[in-house]
Amino acid sequence: MGNSSVQPVMPRSWRVDTKPHKFCPGCGHPLILKCLGQAIDELGIQDRVVFGCDIGCSLLSWDFFDLDTVQTHHGRTTPVMTGIKRARPGLICIAYMGDGGGYSIGVQHLVSAAARGEKITAVLANNTQYAMTGGQMAPTTLPGQKTETTPYGRDPETTGFPLPGQDMVSSVAGEGAYVARGSIANPRQLKSFLKKALENQMSEKGFSFIEALSACPTNWRTNASETWDFVERKMPAYFKAGEIKVPAGGQGEVQKDG
Amino acid sequence: MSDRIVEAYTGEYAGGKSENAVNRALELARQSRKVTLVDLDIVEPVYTLRPIQEELKALGIAVIAWKTRDTVGLGEAGTILKPGARWALRHEGDVILDIGYGVEGAKTLNLLEGANTEPNLKVIAVINISRPMTAGVEDIVEHVREMGKVDGLLNNTHLGNETTVEVVQEGARVVAEAAKCLGLPVVATAAAVGIAEEIGPVDCMGNPVRALERFMQKAFW
Amino acid sequence: MQKLFENEKKAFMTGNEVVAWAALAAKADIMYGYPITPQNEIMHYWTRLAPKFDKKFLQTEDELSAGFTTIGGVMAGRKAFTATAGPGNTLMQEPMSMAEMMRLPTVVVVQQRGGPSTATVIYSQQEVNMTALGGNGEGLRIVYSTSSHQELFDYTIKAFNTAWKYRFPTFVLGDGYQAKMRESLTLYEPESRGINLIEPEPYLGKAGVPGVDRPPAQFRNTFSMEEELYELLMGYVKDYEKIMPEVAEYQSSGVEDADLVIVGHGIVFRAIRAAVDTLRRRGLKVGYFRPVTLRPLSIPQIRELTAGVKKMLVVESAYGQLARLIKEVAYGGTAEMLTMYRPGVGITAEEVEAEAEKILK
Repeated sequence: MGNSSVQPVMPRSWRVDTKPHKFCPGCGHPLILKCLGQAIDELGIQDRVVFGCDIGCSLLSWDFFDLDTVQTHHGRTTPVMTGIKRARPGLICIAYMGDGGGYSIGVQHLVSAAARGEKITAVLANNTQYAMTGGQMAPTTLPGQKTETTPYGRDPETTGFPLPGQDMVSSVAGEGAYVARGSIANPRQLKSFLKKALENQMSEKGFSFIEALSACPTNWRTNASETWDFVERKMPAYFKAGEIKVPAGGQGEVQKDG
Repeated sequence: MSDRIVEAYTGEYAGGKSENAVNRALELARQSRKVTLVDLDIVEPVYTLRPIQEELKALGIAVIAWKTRDTVGLGEAGTILKPGARWALRHEGDVILDIGYGVEGAKTLNLLEGANTEPNLKVIAVINISRPMTAGVEDIVEHVREMGKVDGLLNNTHLGNETTVEVVQEGARVVAEAAKCLGLPVVATAAAVGIAEEIGPVDCMGNPVRALERFMQKAFW
Repeated sequence: MQKLFENEKKAFMTGNEVVAWAALAAKADIMYGYPITPQNEIMHYWTRLAPKFDKKFLQTEDELSAGFTTIGGVMAGRKAFTATAGPGNTLMQEPMSMAEMMRLPTVVVVQQRGGPSTATVIYSQQEVNMTALGGNGEGLRIVYSTSSHQELFDYTIKAFNTAWKYRFPTFVLGDGYQAKMRESLTLYEPESRGINLIEPEPYLGKAGVPGVDRPPAQFRNTFSMEEELYELLMGYVKDYEKIMPEVAEYQSSGVEDADLVIVGHGIVFRAIRAAVDTLRRRGLKVGYFRPVTLRPLSIPQIRELTAGVKKMLVVESAYGQLARLIKEVAYGGTAEMLTMYRPGVGITAEEVEAEAEKILK
């Protein structure tokens, strides 16, 4: 690798032999997974994490990490990880999904896991559409946004408004839940949210849920500056970044490493 | 109405509550007493007395239970109280209550108007020690204590078609010991007709033996 | 863990209760479940017993979740199971297709109810298609169809061993009659009868740091290449075909000289057996064949039968779900295949007897 000197440092928990990864150029997933990898590294939990990924582009993450992983069905990652956690509470379970998986086909699982206070961490990449199936409308599609199933733009009159998934989850999640929305536009913040979410699970406080605003230039048909404009300006108009729910009395004691 | 008989048969799922309630009602009816038999199984209203109620009515028992044609859709709904059952204690004469199972099965009595003030109400816990949840003295004591008001135990130990006299007598011994721990009387030992004849009028602990005609087999399907 | 039963003992129970005790006897660790009649008392008794034996239970939001959490439990290396029926079994097909793809030893107890749709809540044999061949796959499953409480106990224990030994999703197929019916059976510790309980092992969350101490354990169910899927699947099929002879179970009687062999499974088999006993006593040459496993079937025995006897009568509380499985195996045989279909309703010995008499007249 002649140009290794200019490569950024990979998180330790990444699986080197599966890189370069298979996501499209400009995709938001690798950025989210980098933040997640860094959070795992900093917490020193690589030996205890079990990572589940959904169907959709998120499925490409199945061999992304040096972690034990399972690719589940569309929308069903939350119950699979719930099942693992209930059976082996010592494991740290991460359910990774897209907005279609979490907010549409698997919404009952996400909401119910939040309501029961499952001690797992759900991470949802929001790119405002179904990417792997070719760019159809998702619950998160912005009003007016063109997708393959809203060729004239999403009309809220007939298809509703973007789903406020974070509000939905935080409104049913218990006192100990941690719910936050980050963005690939602010990786430092996203990493800190992911880390707090994992800490929340480790201290057995409750459910934790991170939505990450992501990008899909391939389906958006956007160049780099248009992509960033969409992520940094258009999406936050509907999806505000920040911590929506923090456990009462703080996060409690967790073992930290780095 | 002061000398009327009001008995509620309660206890573990599949312990023999219905069979004993039906037979008790029949026994009273045969003494030309006015008897109302009430199906209070609100967990499984599609089972229990529904299929045999016409037969019981022909034997002179007034029955408050669902009819098949009234239960469309209730199979899934499950917990449904027949409105008439709520007022069962207002009926004149004897009232025999067949209480359904469930964690809070015994609390079903709270659904009856006048249950708290009915002076003649006797709650009888039906025990079959062949049921694993009520197999030993400790299990029975724990089980009965969870039930709230109980006035007596009834030994209904059997193994279906494999029942022997010894199976029933062993039940009589265990139930009697549990009753002693609980400070409650044993009301009777119940056994299917043939077995009851073999045992005689009293069981090995000196408690009266009730002979059961088996109705509930017909109630199943 | 304390012993469940000091000695073998006779007990009087409902079928659902039997399943809960059998799961305990099989040393199941966790049940995931969603309410649906007629399997509810499996959960009721499991939840009553679980804390006494340090076992776990999770009530999920639906059967999709019940199936997928069961998958999670199994992948974590625990003996996990669920129970369902009818429309719940329909939803269960999605997680079970994942279990087929990843060779996961899930155990599902199905208490069949009427269908299609919500239908009736107690009885049918209409979940044979779905349980044996459901999901978007090839039916690489093992299905035991029980006919008594003793069998519910025996085969629920066996199902856990079969699942963990062969790593195919395993089903115990009962029905609401068996679920609610009361009869006696003998309870025992499997070990006391020389049954060696297979220890589960984790698929995920193994010891050591993945990528450092060992390769990561990674499981997928999507494939880019058709050939890749083909190769994997044909490997599974080969494994399945190899184990078929040792997994398949059946019961038969009086078939050697029979003019008519009556075929049925589950609780209907009880009616068939009683009818055959009566007919034999009356000197009629009638026998029965009962598949205990519906998937895989005892193929050589069925082939032999259909090549030897004149007539076979398939009796079921469904409209040909069992018959379709039997006919596929019997193809090429010379026996005339007659049917008695009663979808969604019970079948008595007298009805079977009358049908057989009509045929033999």
